[in-house]
Amino acid sequence: MKRIWTLASKDLLETRRDRLALLFTVIMPLAFTTFFGLMFGGGSDRLPLAIVNADSGAPAMQLVSALAQSGVVKTEAMTIAAAEKAVDDNKVAAALEIPAGFSAALAAGRPAALTMVSVAGSTGAQTVQTEVMALAGRLAAGERAAQAAVAVAGTPPGSDPAVGEQALKDAALLMARPLAAQSLAHPVATVKVVQAGMAAGQIPTGFVLSSPGMLVNFILFSLLTAGIALIQERRNFTLLRLMTTRVRRWELIAGKAVGMFALTFVQQIILMGAGQLLFGVDYLRDPAALLLMMVALSLFASTLGLLLAAVLTSEQAMVATTVIVSMSVAALSGAWFPLEITGPAFQAVGHLLPTAWILDGLRGIIVRGFGVADVLPAFGVALAWSTALFVLAVWRFRLSD
Amino acid sequence: MSRILAIAWKDLRSTMRNVPALVMMLVAPLALAALLGFAFGGGQSFSITATKVAVANADTGAFGVGAVGNYGAVVVGVMKSPDLKDIITVSDKPSAAAARKAVDDGKAAAAVVIPADFSGVMSGASSVAPTTAIEVYENPTQQIGGAITESIVGQALLGFNGARAAAVAASGLATANGDGDRAGELAQQAAAKYIQGGGAAAGVSVAQRAPRLPGGASTKDVGVSGTILAGMMVFFMFFGANNVARTILDEERAGTLPRLFTTPTPRRTILGGKFSSVFVTVIVQAVILLVGGRFIFSIDWGRLDAVAALTLVAAAVASGLALLLISLVRTPAQAGGIGAGVYLVLALLGGNFTGAAAAGGAYATIQKLTPNGWLLQGWDAVMRGGGLADIVLNLVVPLLFAVVFFAVAVLRFRKRFA
Amino acid sequence: MSIVEVQELRKQYDPPKGVLAVDGVSFDIAKGEIFSLLGPNGAGKSTTISMLSCLLHPSGGDALVDGHSVVTDAQAVKEAIGVVPQDIALYPDMSARENLIFWGKMYGLAGEALKTRVNEVLELITLVDRQKDRVEKFSGGMKRRVNIGVALLHKPKVLYLDEPTVGIDPQSRRSILDGILALRDQGMTILYTTHYMAEAQELSDRIGIVDHGKMIAVGTNDELVKIVGEEARVELNVDHSLEGMVERWAEVQGVTKAMIDEDRAVLLVQDANEVLPRLFETAAAAGSRITEASVTEPNLEMVFLHLTGRALRE
Repeated sequence: MKRIWTLASKDLLETRRDRLALLFTVIMPLAFTTFFGLMFGGGSDRLPLAIVNADSGAPAMQLVSALAQSGVVKTEAMTIAAAEKAVDDNKVAAALEIPAGFSAALAAGRPAALTMVSVAGSTGAQTVQTEVMALAGRLAAGERAAQAAVAVAGTPPGSDPAVGEQALKDAALLMARPLAAQSLAHPVATVKVVQAGMAAGQIPTGFVLSSPGMLVNFILFSLLTAGIALIQERRNFTLLRLMTTRVRRWELIAGKAVGMFALTFVQQIILMGAGQLLFGVDYLRDPAALLLMMVALSLFASTLGLLLAAVLTSEQAMVATTVIVSMSVAALSGAWFPLEITGPAFQAVGHLLPTAWILDGLRGIIVRGFGVADVLPAFGVALAWSTALFVLAVWRFRLSD
Repeated sequence: MSRILAIAWKDLRSTMRNVPALVMMLVAPLALAALLGFAFGGGQSFSITATKVAVANADTGAFGVGAVGNYGAVVVGVMKSPDLKDIITVSDKPSAAAARKAVDDGKAAAAVVIPADFSGVMSGASSVAPTTAIEVYENPTQQIGGAITESIVGQALLGFNGARAAAVAASGLATANGDGDRAGELAQQAAAKYIQGGGAAAGVSVAQRAPRLPGGASTKDVGVSGTILAGMMVFFMFFGANNVARTILDEERAGTLPRLFTTPTPRRTILGGKFSSVFVTVIVQAVILLVGGRFIFSIDWGRLDAVAALTLVAAAVASGLALLLISLVRTPAQAGGIGAGVYLVLALLGGNFTGAAAAGGAYATIQKLTPNGWLLQGWDAVMRGGGLADIVLNLVVPLLFAVVFFAVAVLRFRKRFA
Repeated sequence: MSIVEVQELRKQYDPPKGVLAVDGVSFDIAKGEIFSLLGPNGAGKSTTISMLSCLLHPSGGDALVDGHSVVTDAQAVKEAIGVVPQDIALYPDMSARENLIFWGKMYGLAGEALKTRVNEVLELITLVDRQKDRVEKFSGGMKRRVNIGVALLHKPKVLYLDEPTVGIDPQSRRSILDGILALRDQGMTILYTTHYMAEAQELSDRIGIVDHGKMIAVGTNDELVKIVGEEARVELNVDHSLEGMVERWAEVQGVTKAMIDEDRAVLLVQDANEVLPRLFETAAAAGSRITEASVTEPNLEMVFLHLTGRALRE
């Protein structure tokens, strides 16, 4: 046991001295996290929306003004040509075309059509469209409510139905509209949104949700430096030489694993510390659960790195394999994009990997107040994987080229 | 000139015999593009699974004058409508606690809890509370599912609120017309009329279309595969360039570079040859990937002249960057490690893995700090049908980056191999 | 006449306090002769060759190769020389033929002339039947032959060989040495560095002995050996206290040098027949028994030992 620790500390010492490894395992991820946190930590910006209004009627104006006051979009009036270009150049998330007959159609009780000009698949456009539909929906509802009220109560009792019905109706509409709008502005039934596990009124920022994913990304990538060092050691024959001492083979390999574990663990501490202290990502919400997840992640990363270094022979092969493996694992685990936007097959495959579970666990801790019991399954999956990887690594470990 | 080509050809041939390099340059981008394509439904569009929603209807209903029965059940009925079956999957729960638990246990993305007094308040029969609320209890890590649920419930509520607005307006009109004692009756009629008219659902529709190019033709929809493969291609071109540029260090160690310096071929020709090697190899890599994308993923890359220009500039950026990095490090191992780190950061910043950023956001600005960010926006524009004129900046800015990279690399190499 | 004239070449790495690898070396090589630079590892041989190949700038002095200065006229020098470096400098993933064709292009050959010459060189190095195999699959000796072949492509006037036989089997070494002699017979001038005395003796017309960056002796084998005169090398071992014995033997009449090398005493003596009995007596008087004794007639190793007080092999 002591020998294993001696081997591991030697590796760590070398890493600390190797300024390059230091740069890439600690400084770069930290700088990157800081940069991203500064950019996105403050909550989301309003999405730019171009408005092309060809209608001079009141409802169209109301729609434009409602959008201008929205907290989701930031509006700017444009000509259609300018708007097309702005959408194409990604200067605006979408453009809303209000055609000339819009207000008239609403007033006449016919369906009114709007056109959104956007690039298919853009999530920004989706959000804008939802907001436009919500506001336009309310507008239409108000108009329809006013229409219905006028149809029922617009003409005073006892008036001559043949005389100036239209004028009466118009006058009634003028009164009904604000009444309806007023009622809709203070609705009786509302939606109350509660985010499970979070304090009232809070929504997790984009950075908070993406922080654990980036963490996993960088940990996986740092396997690169550790693996390359190992390969070089093999090449220097120092590994082989170690075997001529009384160190046993599995002790040697375990020593390597412990070293990698410690390295990734320290990395996690640094990155999580920065997230917590600088950007309010509440990792420490449940320290026990957090510890479990950190151990799980380091176990997985170190045994994976060990296996790769065990079977690959050249630095080039190491770089190639680590890049591909870490990118695939990151993508499949939901580190780059939330798995909820992927298909069911992908999610199923992704959840074969421990990192998907760990990411769910970390996000759960931060945002939903997960405790030890909630992250225990994730820990179990990671432990199973790590054991399998370790056994494979010991079996296939090559001491020399 | 022929000697420069001889060096470039030698290195290209060497790369073709180097399996790990080929895997990195060709297999990796195609495999990752396939993987990510599989992520997004394997098709041309981003399609997502239906959100799972748990609903608990505690509404006791309101029966009596002007009441329709169980308003809560109406809301549930809206959620379960066939139109929405691809968007949400609804499961009934016996209680609010059970519904919330479904979310807590990860079995649903959101829970909809309808309170007991919902119908009462809505129909005005309850005098206790003037307002009521339907709770949407969300899993904060599933923002999209939560937003969808909120939107659907909101639409349903709009129906009720609209009917109520009709009632209020009718009541007001009646009072103004001196018909105040019939106000309540007219209000109910107005509300009924509103609902019969289809409510807000018949009011406004929003159709989506792609932006049009100046000539009037519509831009094309870019499939997921195209965006992803473009991002992967540029990312792995960085690695391809790195592999070849690294051989400068390898050859220095192996002795073939000093030997080249003992031949009558001038040093600048030799270094020029190595620089060309990097550029040529990366161009070949790009062409193979473009062709692969065309035939394996059916990607339409767009107009040939624009695609060619983007490819050349991308190759220049990749080569320049790789040569710059090599000129700064000492050992081939460092080249591999540092290169990987730098490329990863550039890719994360430039959006190689995530596609075009939301307009106007900070990310869109960040992407413009990187040469690959500009290039990817250019690829996107060309895939949507744009031409050379549309991507001028997307070509010029990265090219400037490349020129600077090359210049610094040349200076450093000159100093090193004086 | 001299085709290579080396004039007070100096090389200091990282002046002003850096290592002085070559400290004022001068020698000439006549056209058509084989000249060896003989010296232990670290003597400055490779540095000297690097300067003569225009790879390194001299810190001082100059050298003329075929009348051209290595300092001011490097291009012309490179046209005239062929360099065979100490390490195999070939592309391992390319075949022997592909290597030769590439290097031929770098030497300015092209087209049909290149192909013809490559075939000629392949014959010269007797690798015609393995020409399409990758160099990484070759044995050490075969790699060395290709290594030499590359330097011959452009028919240089002077060939530099930097320790070409290090670490290869005796058969390959023999064929390389024979090849070098054959080249000389065809009129090539050859500069050859080595730390193997036997090779220097066998091959060279003239030898320059270097140590610590200085040329300490130059001449033919016979001329050099005369430096030590009739001094013979006597190697002895005793059953105990070797150091003490060596000190006593150093005092014995007729012993010019005494030292310990690899756990035995190495003495230079003026007349082996006369001195040997005295050595035995001295040992007996000190109560030691001689366990081995050998006598070697004067050779270059002894010259080196005489001049520097150290052995040629370290």
